[in-house]
Amino acid sequence: MSAQYLFNGIVTGGILALPAVAFSLLWKLLRFPNFAVSAYLTVGAFAALTANRGLGWPLASAWLGALAVTALVAWLVDRVTFRPMRARRPFSLAIASIGVTFVLENVIRFVWGNDFRAYDVPVTRAMTWAGLRIGREQLDILGVAVALMLLAQIFLTRTRLGIAMRATADNPPLATVKGVPTERVIGLATLGGGALAGGAGVFLGLDTSIDPLLGAGLIISVFAAAILGGIGSAPGALAGALIVGIVEEVGTLVIPPTYKSAIGFFIILVVLLVRPTGLAGART
Amino acid sequence: MSDVTRRQVLATAATGALALGRPAVLRAQSKEPIHIGTLCPLTGAGGSYGPDMQKAIVAVAERINKAGGIYGRPLVLFHEDDQTNPEAAVRAARKLIDVNKVVSMCSTWASAVTLAVKPVAVEGKVFYLSVSGADAVTEGNHGGYVARTQPNTRLQAQVYAKWVLTRKEVKRVAYMALQTPYAAPFGEMFSGVLKTGGLTISDTLIYEDKKPSYRSEVTRVLATNPDLIMLSCYTPDGTVMAKELYRAGYKGAVLGPAFAVNAKFVEGAGAEVAEGIWAIDPAPSFDAPAYKQFAAAVPQADKNPYAAQSWDHMTLIGLALVAGKGEASGTVIKDNLRTVSNPPGTVVTSWEEGAKLLREGKKINYEGASGSCDFDAQGDILSRPFGAYQVRKGKIEQVSIINP
Repeated sequence: MSAQYLFNGIVTGGILALPAVAFSLLWKLLRFPNFAVSAYLTVGAFAALTANRGLGWPLASAWLGALAVTALVAWLVDRVTFRPMRARRPFSLAIASIGVTFVLENVIRFVWGNDFRAYDVPVTRAMTWAGLRIGREQLDILGVAVALMLLAQIFLTRTRLGIAMRATADNPPLATVKGVPTERVIGLATLGGGALAGGAGVFLGLDTSIDPLLGAGLIISVFAAAILGGIGSAPGALAGALIVGIVEEVGTLVIPPTYKSAIGFFIILVVLLVRPTGLAGART
Repeated sequence: MSDVTRRQVLATAATGALALGRPAVLRAQSKEPIHIGTLCPLTGAGGSYGPDMQKAIVAVAERINKAGGIYGRPLVLFHEDDQTNPEAAVRAARKLIDVNKVVSMCSTWASAVTLAVKPVAVEGKVFYLSVSGADAVTEGNHGGYVARTQPNTRLQAQVYAKWVLTRKEVKRVAYMALQTPYAAPFGEMFSGVLKTGGLTISDTLIYEDKKPSYRSEVTRVLATNPDLIMLSCYTPDGTVMAKELYRAGYKGAVLGPAFAVNAKFVEGAGAEVAEGIWAIDPAPSFDAPAYKQFAAAVPQADKNPYAAQSWDHMTLIGLALVAGKGEASGTVIKDNLRTVSNPPGTVVTSWEEGAKLLREGKKINYEGASGSCDFDAQGDILSRPFGAYQVRKGKIEQVSIINP
């Protein structure tokens, strides 16, 4: 019984992990919390919807299309909004990112309307394995999320660009002096972050339903996962996402489900009070 | 010529204008139009219902005007869209009251919208009818300016529960509800009736909107082995929940409100998931003479439970104005509402019929397209027929009519 809640939590954590990693890395790199990640989730979900319902693509190709579209949208947003503001205080940029979220949400509302939609895929009955109910979509989501996380980790630790990215995140002036092309690194990170968020948006739409406020419902949990994991750490964000997912789901055993969102806020508060650097952060 | 001053010219012109204008003013007193505002949800969550509601109001107003208006005074309608949004609705209501000088407004749909417009209407002494169900719509002191043709939450919950009691195979019922102002009161009334009827309430769970998953909510409820799940939802969250119940292998019955379990619901959840789901909603009086007139006048509106109520709103306002002898104000309408709607009196089923008897000084009792339209002192209707529906092969089919 409680194993079921644990599994539910792991799947929720898997969905949370992708935007949480994007959010966390972009925060460290650009030094502000980019709330537009919530809108990127929605953009991804609607891009896949257009490909799936409009063009008749199977969901797997639609998902790849959504990665590309969202990456591009994120890059454009960065180019138009955040790049001219690079020198400003993080606070101004964070506010600007909230503004971007509103703009993107309303563009989606204008084009697709306020109604909720669903992908053209059949809903399947879950299989039962060792007393656990496991849905096919949930397994797919979890598998793809884990694979993406591994790719991101390998990229960050094993490739020149990934290492350059971490160097820029750690100390931008030093990285620039050492010849790291900062703007190119930021552009690439934005593309990658957008793709991760867009992919997660499709998962979320597949698991629930698609509407213009899709991402807005998730951003507190994403924020909590990133803070819990420690800003700038991909494995930390993954761990944070899993913990937030599990606590939210298992929490329904103890507290009424009406307070699910409160769990996210509670985690943020506790981490900021007890260990502000998060799980992966070094003690100062 | 030269000794005529500018002042004299102006004075002469003014006198002339007054002399010319005066007869027009006198004439207007008998034929001055009466302004009514429509405030239907043309867009937003109620957007599938609002346009037909407005059409029904227009159809009745045209009939009244064709029959000579209210003691010769024509009705003029001003249309606003409430956008199913409280803030937009309040702005629209202020415009109707302050700019268009309406004496009455109808028919908002969402409870949150109606609750927001209510104080504006009461303050402006404008008579206000809605199709909203939340108990709070008619609660408190509103001086009689507020009434509605939709049954309140208490009445609705009783009807749902009584329907469940007729299903002999159901022994254990779970109540799952989206967090709304009526989720808890509805659940208490619903569960209370079922417990009195000898059933077990296996679980009561109120869930939050827009969560990434409802898996654990469903896990918890299914662990209590219900035969029937009462799902008090709106369409978007309802489809997510229905999908989750299906994935989890639930094979029992699901019952929801028909305003949520609609064609959009079937489209969103998929025909296979939606198959067999039950739905209940207040239904129009399909056999009533007023309903037949309504159905003929507003084509395609037969699938819309709210347009028939709007038809009755405009008819009731028209009749109350006649009872007020052509004097037009929100106060006149609210003072005469029960005179024309409640027994005793000759039963009438249209404005023309009622207006004729009223002019002869007789008492009338309007029986409408949506129901008998009898109001209590607080502005709630006393009874209403309900319809029970089921999703069968992707279509929503009416199964029975329930008369509480």
